[in-house]
Amino acid sequence: MQDKTQEKTKTQVLTREENELARRLRTADKPLTVAGTSIGRRDDPLKVTGKLKYGADYSAEGFLFGKILRSPHAHALIKSINVKKAQELEGVAAVLTAEDLPGRNGFGAIIPDQPVICGDKVRFVGDGVALVAAETETIAHQALKLIEVEYEPLPGIFDPRDAMAEDAPKIHEGGNILSDDKMVKGDVDAGFAEADVILERTYQVPFLEHAYLEPDTTMAIPQPDGVMLIEGPMQAPFTTRRNVAPVLGVPINQVRVRQIHMGGGFGGKEDSPIDLSCRAAVLAQATGRPVKITLEREEVTIQTAKRHPMIMELKVGVKKDGTLTAFQGVIYDEQGAYASLGPKIPPAGGSHVHAMVMMPGPYEIPNVKVDAYLLYTNHPYGGAMRGFGAPQVHIAHEQMMDELAAELGITAVDIREKNAFRLGSQTATGQVLSQSVGLRETLESCADRFKWDERLAATGWVDQAHTKRRGVGVAMGWYRTSIGTNGDGCGAAVHLHEDGSVLLYSGITEMGQGAFTVLPQICAEELGIMPEDVRLVKPDTDLVPESGPTVGSRSTTLMGNAIILAARQVKESLMDTASMMLMVPTERLDAKGRKIYDRENPDKSLDFAAVAARAMAAGKRMIGQGWWTPPVPSLDGHTGQGSPYHVYTYSTHMVQVVVDVETGEVELEDYVAAFDVGKAINPKALEGQIEGGVAMGLGYALMEEVVLVEGVTQNPSLQGYLVPTMLDVPDIQPVILEVTNELGPYGAKGIGEMPNIPATPAIINAIAQASNGRVRRLPADPERIFWAIKEAGGPPQD
Amino acid sequence: MAKRTIELIVNGDRYELAVDPWRTLANVLREDLRLTGTKVGCAQGDCGACTVLLDGRSISSCLTLAVEAHQREVTTIEGLAPSPDELHPIQEAFVQHGAVQCGYCTPGMVLAAKHLLDNNPAPSEAEIRAGLSGNLCRCTGYNKIVDAIGAAAKKISDTGKEA
Ligand code: FES
Ligand code: FES
Repeated sequence: MQDKTQEKTKTQVLTREENELARRLRTADKPLTVAGTSIGRRDDPLKVTGKLKYGADYSAEGFLFGKILRSPHAHALIKSINVKKAQELEGVAAVLTAEDLPGRNGFGAIIPDQPVICGDKVRFVGDGVALVAAETETIAHQALKLIEVEYEPLPGIFDPRDAMAEDAPKIHEGGNILSDDKMVKGDVDAGFAEADVILERTYQVPFLEHAYLEPDTTMAIPQPDGVMLIEGPMQAPFTTRRNVAPVLGVPINQVRVRQIHMGGGFGGKEDSPIDLSCRAAVLAQATGRPVKITLEREEVTIQTAKRHPMIMELKVGVKKDGTLTAFQGVIYDEQGAYASLGPKIPPAGGSHVHAMVMMPGPYEIPNVKVDAYLLYTNHPYGGAMRGFGAPQVHIAHEQMMDELAAELGITAVDIREKNAFRLGSQTATGQVLSQSVGLRETLESCADRFKWDERLAATGWVDQAHTKRRGVGVAMGWYRTSIGTNGDGCGAAVHLHEDGSVLLYSGITEMGQGAFTVLPQICAEELGIMPEDVRLVKPDTDLVPESGPTVGSRSTTLMGNAIILAARQVKESLMDTASMMLMVPTERLDAKGRKIYDRENPDKSLDFAAVAARAMAAGKRMIGQGWWTPPVPSLDGHTGQGSPYHVYTYSTHMVQVVVDVETGEVELEDYVAAFDVGKAINPKALEGQIEGGVAMGLGYALMEEVVLVEGVTQNPSLQGYLVPTMLDVPDIQPVILEVTNELGPYGAKGIGEMPNIPATPAIINAIAQASNGRVRRLPADPERIFWAIKEAGGPPQD
Repeated sequence: MAKRTIELIVNGDRYELAVDPWRTLANVLREDLRLTGTKVGCAQGDCGACTVLLDGRSISSCLTLAVEAHQREVTTIEGLAPSPDELHPIQEAFVQHGAVQCGYCTPGMVLAAKHLLDNNPAPSEAEIRAGLSGNLCRCTGYNKIVDAIGAAAKKISDTGKEA
């Protein structure tokens, strides 16, 4: 890490509740030994040698292969379905339709509105109308072709705004408006009256595919005692279990879900494993045999959740000096066919509400009004994807900030400096930011490292022939840690053994982000041992405590706290025992490097293992259980006022680009991204999250889009759906700032999603700064850039 | 259609197999030989996860029929390390540089890098990027992979020994 400033905030203004929680976490003020260091990922050697097993690598001997017959229509009634021929095919073990289901015919991460098998109608191209289990994949494919379905097509809705029309066809019984949320602060009319400049703009973003490299796969394995075992790569084993049980019509304790290492998730493997597990489970139950469903790449694109497309209308007022006076926004948030992770879980859970809360950006604005509509359409459905509604609205507010600055003739940095959150600022929900607000620091350090002023002054033509122009762009961002629901609790267990080794039980999953490295690091830090002394038990709903899903950048912070609390319970046993052995009061004892010692006389020490053995022999508590619930969130259902998320991560990105004004092609030259992460528990893993997140944001900016025509995905393969390659990604310099989060483990905040968020608007802003071409409908591919430059009357002429 | 008998030399070991002529090399490696280190990300030649070396050249094993590999030498990720408790310098560099996240692209990346370094022992950064542009990674943002390959090249030429 090139830059690292330790900074203690002096003037935190914690609420009573926050203070109480912070007190529970506080550790003795001793320097960290294990947390804060860049230990390597534990399973890397297994990965580079090909030994680590992913879902598809498990032998499927004796398994049946499951396949899903998909609707070719975006919206249609199912008139009849005939599975006879398929059933008669040799090697077919089961063909299931809606009638054959034993329990609830619905699943969903939030509300179960998606049929396991569609009975009366289909709502998107890819909806499942029948399931097949066969001895081989080839036979399963053949069986699908033998199923005869008669449809009666219905008019479809392919633009979320059409979904709101009175006479629009109803996609679900309850109507097409899944959620209608409002956020009102101050008086926007009064704010606009005070403004010197008011701009109105519309920004639009498409469906995005996660394009994790590992296609989804799930195994459902009936156990002799009647339990249904589900195994597969997934981010939310507990949500999966919660869905499979009612679908099978059994109690939750009859379903066991084991997570297998994921080949990438990015939010996408929160939903799709629910879908596949429910379907594999009903096939396994019907046949009494283990069933494996593995999606082909095109099915991954067609069937699984996407990032929500949005149309965002903004009207923003600003004074001559750059001070924002009013922000008015409307979001048409396209949910697609099923609710997935879109709708509200009160008070502030679900991607839609999160998008609304984030929409005005990390700026102090006295008057705000946002209307946010979440709308069903006959498209694939939106779920979670690295940022959960935040990337979309950042694309809008960060472009708007630049457009306002240009109108006022001030720089993009000036306008942000004028309005950026600081400690004590009030957000658009009326929340007072009580602690850990490092946003301005990120702007300052980013500008320093990037040499913003010099580079800004040097923008202009690159070549004599005036075909290429260089420009710079900036964007800021904020992101919550936690998910804004009342039940965002998280449990952990720590089992200490008589030889000093430890088992750590956590339900947080590994998808490449490094949780299986960072969580044992936290446990080792708390106990004063080494990370290799801690073995993490892989998430298994029969073994580990309920930990919630691995989403919302909550793993390190929420689970980290649960682990600290669990570890403290066994540490108490150790300290009591050591106190007796050393004849030193417990308050004077500390643990570090596998030793327990007298702080006043460090030579007086004992081996950790010896103390563990004595504690065990004395019948002391050897099992610790920790449960952490973040401060209770609030958000008024009518006004959108309250404290929806308890702490935020902040960031500023700056990028230099060269735009070919004749072809619209863009080259990224340099990139600096600064973050306030609270505390970097593993700086190297953190850097990896930053680089990967920026690359993904680059894809969103320049090339990625699931193209749909009448509901049909036009580019389901990775040849059609472009993601960044090694040639597209510039050098990325991370700058890490640590403004302590009193409610995080050792001060940490979440980081998984933040890097992805400002990257996209920073690049779009740089393109506009270089060429005058402002692309308000993403992606900014060469064609759109070319036309945007034309529309602006050509590139700058200087 | 009748099965065909083929002979494959995989990581130095000779196998005689009866395979359906339409099956891909990726498939036969993974299912018949249980060498699951070769990953399949797309099965369409778009992602590079299935990269293996065929007579030393990197190919997409999902696009290659197993019968095409008849009597030819295949190197998979399982065959790269010099011994069970050592890593090849490229593998070692990937670990040291944090070039691995989910790891699904890693076997293919490592083998594509091996092919590159075999043909160009001291590649420039641009040559590394061009050489591996057919291998997708969705997690890392690539830069640490580029660093790792550069470092591996240096290590191999410094020690003068290629494992
Ligand atoms: S699996 Fe062969 S290229 Fe993707
Ligand atoms: S590490 Fe996940 S795809 Fe490369």
